[in-house]
Amino acid sequence: MQYQSQSVAKLYFVAAIGLFVGQILFGLILGLQYVIGDFLFPAIPFNVARMVHTNLLIVWLLFGFMGAAYYLVPEEAERELFSPGLAKLLFWVFLIAGALTVLGYLLVPYSSLADLTGNDLLPTMGREFLEQPTITKLGIVVVALGFLFNIGMTILSGRKTVVNLVLLIGLVGLAVLFLFSFYNPDNLVNDKYYWWWVVHLWVEGVWELILGSILAFVLIKTTGVDREVIEKWLYVIIAMTLITGIVGTGHHYYWIGTPEYWQWWGSVFSAMEPIPFFMMTVFAFNMVNRRRRNHPNQAAVLWALGTAVMAFLGAGVWGFLHTLAPVNYYTHGSQITAAHGHMAFYGAYVMVVLTIISYAMPMMRGRQAANSNRSQVLEMWSFWLMTVSIVFITLFLTGAGILQVYLQRFSENPMPFMMVQEKISLFYWLREIAGLVFLVGLVLYVASFFVGSKDPEVAVEQAASPTA
Amino acid sequence: MTDSLTQRWMRPCTLVYGVLMGLTLITWAVGMLELQGLGVTFLVLGLALLKGHLIGDWFMGLRSVRGFWRWVIVFWLLLVGGLVGAAFWLSV
Amino acid sequence: MRQLNPLERQGEALRYPPGDLAVWIFILAELSVFAIFFAAYAFTRMQHVALFDQYQATLDRTSALYNTLALITASYFVVRAVAAIRENRAAQSRNWLWAGVGMGLLFLVIKGAEYAHHFAEGVRLSTNTFYMFYLSLTFFHFMHVILGIIVLAVLAVRTGQGHYDAASHTDIESGASYWHMVDLVWLILFPLVYVMH
Ligand code: HEM
Ligand code: HEM
Ligand SMILES: [Fe+2]
Repeated sequence: MQYQSQSVAKLYFVAAIGLFVGQILFGLILGLQYVIGDFLFPAIPFNVARMVHTNLLIVWLLFGFMGAAYYLVPEEAERELFSPGLAKLLFWVFLIAGALTVLGYLLVPYSSLADLTGNDLLPTMGREFLEQPTITKLGIVVVALGFLFNIGMTILSGRKTVVNLVLLIGLVGLAVLFLFSFYNPDNLVNDKYYWWWVVHLWVEGVWELILGSILAFVLIKTTGVDREVIEKWLYVIIAMTLITGIVGTGHHYYWIGTPEYWQWWGSVFSAMEPIPFFMMTVFAFNMVNRRRRNHPNQAAVLWALGTAVMAFLGAGVWGFLHTLAPVNYYTHGSQITAAHGHMAFYGAYVMVVLTIISYAMPMMRGRQAANSNRSQVLEMWSFWLMTVSIVFITLFLTGAGILQVYLQRFSENPMPFMMVQEKISLFYWLREIAGLVFLVGLVLYVASFFVGSKDPEVAVEQAASPTA
Repeated sequence: MTDSLTQRWMRPCTLVYGVLMGLTLITWAVGMLELQGLGVTFLVLGLALLKGHLIGDWFMGLRSVRGFWRWVIVFWLLLVGGLVGAAFWLSV
Repeated sequence: MRQLNPLERQGEALRYPPGDLAVWIFILAELSVFAIFFAAYAFTRMQHVALFDQYQATLDRTSALYNTLALITASYFVVRAVAAIRENRAAQSRNWLWAGVGMGLLFLVIKGAEYAHHFAEGVRLSTNTFYMFYLSLTFFHFMHVILGIIVLAVLAVRTGQGHYDAASHTDIESGASYWHMVDLVWLILFPLVYVMH
């Protein structure tokens, strides 16, 4: 760690991991409710647990992105953070607002929460992923503005690097697109139309820029490959992301009442969306193979490579699977969607946040460059456990989805929804078991922060390695 | 002698430019004359592919490249030509 | 090294095309999008031959001809710009690049007039399948021409500022390759959408 102020990232990372644990616990509750319908009823109904699961996911990823920015921006800009105090203040504001919101979800009925928070003044609630009360949304905007100001001032008055600029564009885009969550037209078609400007243009647009720049940063640091080479890749990946991803929004406009040409636009452009993810995979392996040195933090390198592979699988392959209009006609809103959602979110955004945490945490906790061997071994175990269980969750849901689509929508005698759900409940049980393994992985992950803290650091091996 | 080599490349490029302009006029004339039929369609498609090949080989300079990159544009043209040709052939 | 002019080693062919490899990967990705669009056009036309033929006849082939000639000419100018910088004639190279920009702008003006005409007649994306494809394909290409013009203009300015010489001009080669790609795509698009039926 080169600048004192980078250490504010630690707060953000710790909060992120804490909320991550909460997210997974609620995932397990949900998974159980899928097979035991009245589990925890009426204390925690499915819709509430689902909301908590997905909102915690988004919020902890945002904590992760902000932490990543606070860590890497000063190092890239070669100056201290503009205002570490502001960063700390906003952290607490965001954390408390987030906690109150989740408590609100859990403790009062959703409609009362809406009344309590004055939703009727500016109704924005009640839409997937954007369930937060309007005042929480306003709080998010305030935090985002303060955050962007802090980061922006640091970048603008420091060394300007491609990594920093791409990250900044991604973060500004994230904030700007979030403003569409305040637009809530009565017309359902319009509502859905703009809802995707937040949801899709986030994960298949600006977040990819954030992903690319964090990955590039970690690769620059761990491989020692020339910055120019990495920057060039970053440019190409980003250009491709935007060209395919923006019009690719059309893959959500097939059946919501939008004009028919979206079936073409959506299909053609989104079919190309895997390209930038594929480039990212090639890029990461290429850089690691051309490395100038072996970085002692092998766990971070593993996370970086894992991100590149899993993002391609989850977003690229599983996304492509159902993105063409004639296929989506059958699979829309089925378990195939959930399978893809899990692997894509995990492979791209969960993993990239864990990558930067893995890279940065040891240094923020006083290490030279890496954790002890024992800690890294445990972390790598958690990597494999979580990653393999997500693969299995995805496979089980895909199996469930194929059957569901067949029985409910494709066969000669289509069956009703609930009957099909019963027929595929075996897959849901298997998903729940895989989820438990995921939890084990997560526990080991948390444990890796406490194991071997007294042991010596893995030796810094500066020797150039033969290219693999 | 850089000069002469560059010029040795420039001269055929100028020729290629002329050919491209000429072929374009032919395509346009075919359109204006409302010529019909599969033969005409394939002629127009063939001319387009040939023009693309000239661009790739000379303007993009792929002639002097070996291996994969020598053939990317050719491959792309064959792919597009094959698909489009098949669709037009099947629709008569 | 990659900056070397392919012609300087005519005996031994190069492993990579002129310009930056990353740009070439980008070009391939772009070409794939267009390939899919072309195939989609052709296969959709199979179901609506009469409709496609009928509305294709409403397009202005002569404008398209001028546009094709403009793009080919722009490409040729760009070739000259690359040749000039390879011989260290930066000022000439810059002029050829500006000439290329000029041809690109001419394309935009002609195409813009065509669009204005169609829009005035009430043609929209939802009018029918043919117009949907016509507008989508040509507009997607139109955006590429704009991007290509921006690239060429930036290169022209930088060339004028003396950033490039015979030994180092990968950027110009990259930009030139991109521009040729924009031209190449139009050379398929023109017969496909305006002529073939
Ligand atoms: C990291 C990037 C990505 C993430 C995090 C992600 C996540 C998601 C999520 C959560 C949904 C469900 C949304 C809902 O609640 O309805 C979804 C839907 C969808 N995604 Fe992705 N996605 C990513 C990339 C992609 C890519 C690259 C493609 C295409 C190649 C794609 C294709 C789709 C399609 C077609 C749907 C709609 C499914 C339906 O009709 O039910 N996604 N995605
Ligand atoms: C890091 C890991 C995880 C991520 C990134 C994640 C992400 C998501 C996302 C994005 C959705 C919304 C999906 C959609 O709208 O289609 C969702 C829903 C859900 N998740 Fe997770 N999740 C994770 C772990 C888990 C685990 C371990 C379980 C349980 C074993 C689980 C069970 C569920 C269930 C049951 C739903 C509701 C699906 C529905 O509405 O039908 N998740 N999760
Ligand atoms: Fe999407």
